Amino acid sequence: MAYPEATVAAPLARPLISRRTRDVLTGYAYLIPAAVCLGGTIAFPILKAIHMSLYRHVLFRPQEYGFIGLGNYGRLLRDEVFWLTLWNSFIWVAGSVSLQFLGGFAAALLLHQAFRGRALVRTVTLLPWVIPGVVVALVWEWLYQPNYGVINDLLLRLGLLTERVAWLSDPALAMPAVIATNVWRGVPFFAIMLLAGLQAIPDELYEAALVDGASVLHRFWHITLPLLRPIIVVATATRIVWTFNYADLIFVMTSGGPANATQITSTYTLLQAYSDLDFGYAATLSVVLLVIMLVFTTAYLRVTRGIESVA
Amino acid sequence: MDERWALSRRQFLRTLAASGAVAATDLAWWEEPFLSPGRAYGASPVRFQFSVPEPKRTALVESLVERFNKSQSDVEVKVEFVPQAQARQKLITAITAGTPPDCCQVWDNWVGELEGMGAVEDLTGRVKDWKHYKDTLPIAWQTVTVKGRILSFPWVVTNDSLYYRTDRLKEYGLKVPSEDWTWDDFLALAKGFTRVDRNQYGFGMRGQGTWAVLYATEFMYGNGARVLKDGTVAINSKEAVAGLEWYLDLFRKHKVTPPSMPTDGWRQIVEGFGRGVTNTYLHNSGSAEEQKGFVGPQNFATIPLPIGPAKQRASFYFSETLTLFKQAKNKEGAWKFLTFLMDDEPKFMYCKTLGLLPARKSIADRPEFSKDPALAGFVKSFPFSVVSPYLAYPGWGGKLDSEGVPLFQQAMVGKISAKECLDRFAEVLTKNMA
Repeated sequence: MAYPEATVAAPLARPLISRRTRDVLTGYAYLIPAAVCLGGTIAFPILKAIHMSLYRHVLFRPQEYGFIGLGNYGRLLRDEVFWLTLWNSFIWVAGSVSLQFLGGFAAALLLHQAFRGRALVRTVTLLPWVIPGVVVALVWEWLYQPNYGVINDLLLRLGLLTERVAWLSDPALAMPAVIATNVWRGVPFFAIMLLAGLQAIPDELYEAALVDGASVLHRFWHITLPLLRPIIVVATATRIVWTFNYADLIFVMTSGGPANATQITSTYTLLQAYSDLDFGYAATLSVVLLVIMLVFTTAYLRVTRGIESVA
Repeated sequence: MDERWALSRRQFLRTLAASGAVAATDLAWWEEPFLSPGRAYGASPVRFQFSVPEPKRTALVESLVERFNKSQSDVEVKVEFVPQAQARQKLITAITAGTPPDCCQVWDNWVGELEGMGAVEDLTGRVKDWKHYKDTLPIAWQTVTVKGRILSFPWVVTNDSLYYRTDRLKEYGLKVPSEDWTWDDFLALAKGFTRVDRNQYGFGMRGQGTWAVLYATEFMYGNGARVLKDGTVAINSKEAVAGLEWYLDLFRKHKVTPPSMPTDGWRQIVEGFGRGVTNTYLHNSGSAEEQKGFVGPQNFATIPLPIGPAKQRASFYFSETLTLFKQAKNKEGAWKFLTFLMDDEPKFMYCKTLGLLPARKSIADRPEFSKDPALAGFVKSFPFSVVSPYLAYPGWGGKLDSEGVPLFQQAMVGKISAKECLDRFAEVLTKNMA
C-alpha cells in the first residue's frame, strides 16, 4: 500500500493585518454609516458656517463675493445692535428658564399629589407644550392686542387698568410680555420632567423622615431636591440652549421690535440672512452663538459636575 | 359566471405591473407629467412665480393662467405661489443657484437688487416695439428703469392716499376735508375722530415694515425735505427733522393713533380701520376692495395727503412688476405670457378685482377706476406722485427694513430724537449707496 508522501507543514504566511487589528477595524467599519450621517448633518454644516463667515457673501451682490478673513468678526465687534441683542438674549433666557423652572416645579409637586381627575389635569398641563410655537405666538399676539385683546378687556372690566395697554408695542413691556408667553409654553416641559423624577423617589425615604420628625420643608430640602438634582441639571441646561436659539416666538409676535427691544441674537441672525441676504455676516453670528453655547455648556457641566452622581 | 370575463391571477399581476410602470413614468417626469390633462402636445412650459397669495389673488391669477393656457398650443404656464414674506429671498436664492423661474411678479424695489445680480433680462428693445408702450404711463416706466434700461413691465401701479370714514364724520359733526387741506386740518380731523372711551382713534399710523419709513418720509416731503439732493443723502436736513417731529407727535403728543402703533404693520392698519378702531389711515389702493367688504362702500372715501408747511405734498409711486429672467429656459413663452397679462382684459380684470390702478392710460380712464369714490384719492394724487426716492439704490432695499425701521421705531417710542434718528438713518443710506 502506497502512502502519500509526507509533507512538512509550511508555516502560514504572517497576515498583513493581525486578527486583533482586523477586529478593531471591523468595529470601526460598522461605525462608518453613523459617522457619515453625523458628519453630513452636524459637522459639515458647522464647518460650512465657519467657512462662510470668512467671506463677504451678500446674495444680491455676487460680484463682491470674496475672502475677507476675520472681517465679519471685526464688524460684529463694532456692531452695537449685536451687543444689544446679546444682552436681550441673556434677559430672555434668564427670565424664561427661571420662571419656567419655578412654574414647572410647582406644577410637578401639585400633579404628584393624589386627587380626583389627576390624569385629566396632567393632560391639560401638557397642552401648551404640544401646540406649535408659531401658533402659540399668534394666539398670544391676539390675547395681548390692545384694541381687541382679551387681556386688556378683562383687566379693564376688573378695574385693574384705566386705559388700554399696548403690551407688545411698549419697549418696556414687550420683553416681559414675550417672556410670559414663553413661560406659559415651557412650564409643561419642566413639569413633566420633574414629575417623572418625583415618581422615582421611593416613598420609604419620606416615611423614614416623617418618623424622624422631619417637617415638610426639611423633607423637601433634604430628600426631594437632592434626588431631583440630576434631572434639574439636565433639563435646565437643555432648556437654556433651546431658549437661546428659539427665534420663532419673538419673530412672529414682535419681529424683534419695537425699536429692537425684543431683538435677540437668533432673530437678528435671521434678519441678516433673510432681510439683508448677508449670508456671510449671518454665518458669523451663528458661529458666535455656537461658541457662546459651547462655553456655557462646558462651564455649566463643570460647575454641576458630580451632581448627576447623587442619584 | 362567464369565464371569459374572469380575471386570472396572472392577468391581475400583469395589470398591476403595467399600472406601476405607468405611475413610475409619471413620477420620473414630475416636471412634465406623462398623464397631464388637457395639455397641448409639444407645449413648452413657462415657470411663473407669484407672491402675495391671498385667496382672492390666488384664484384670480389661476384663472388668468388657465385662460392663457387655453388660448395657446405651444406654451403652458405653470404658476408657483410663494408667500410674500419669502418671495424675495426665494427668488434671490433661486437666482444664486441658477434655477430662477422664467418670469415672475415682483415689487419694483426688488428690481434694482435683481439687476445688481445680473439676473434680469433687458426688455428695452422688445418693450419699445410693444403695441401698448405709448399707452403706458411714463412714470410707470420710470419705476422699472434702471441705468436707462427697462427691466420689467409695470403691471399695476400704486400711490398713497388717506382713507377716512364718512359715516363717522357725520356722526361726530366733523368737516369734510377738502382736497387742498393742510396738516393743521388733518390734525384737527384726527383729534375729532379720536374717542378713547369708545376705543376709536383718529389715525391708523404704521410702525412696522418698510412703509413705516415711507409714510413718515411722505410727510417729511410735505415740509420740503428730500431723501437725495444733488446725489447725496439729505434726509437729515432741518426740514426733514421738523417734518418727522410733527409726524411722530401724532403718536407721542396728540395720541391720535392706537397705542399699538409702534408694532402695527400692514395687516393691523387695514384691519384697525375695517374693525372701526381707527377712522383714517394711509395706504395704497390695494386695500380699497377689502374695506368695501369691511365697512361698506358708502361709509368711506379716500383723499390726497394734506399739504405740508412747505406748500408741498408727495405720494410715493410704486409698481408691481412682471419680470423676465436672463436664465429663463423659455424666454419667448414668458414674453408671450407677460404681454398677455398686460393686455386690455386681463389687466382690467386684475386691477378691478383687486382695486389696484392700471399702469395703462386707456384702462385707467375707464369709469371703474376714474369714478370710484374709493379710488378718487389715488387718482387725484397722481399730479404730485413721485417715484419712490428709495428706489434709487438697490442696496437700500433690505436696509430700510433691517436698520431703518428699528431707527424710526426708536424715535416713535421716544428712545432717540427725530434728529438722531435721521442722522443715523442718513449714515445707513450713505453707507449703502453703492
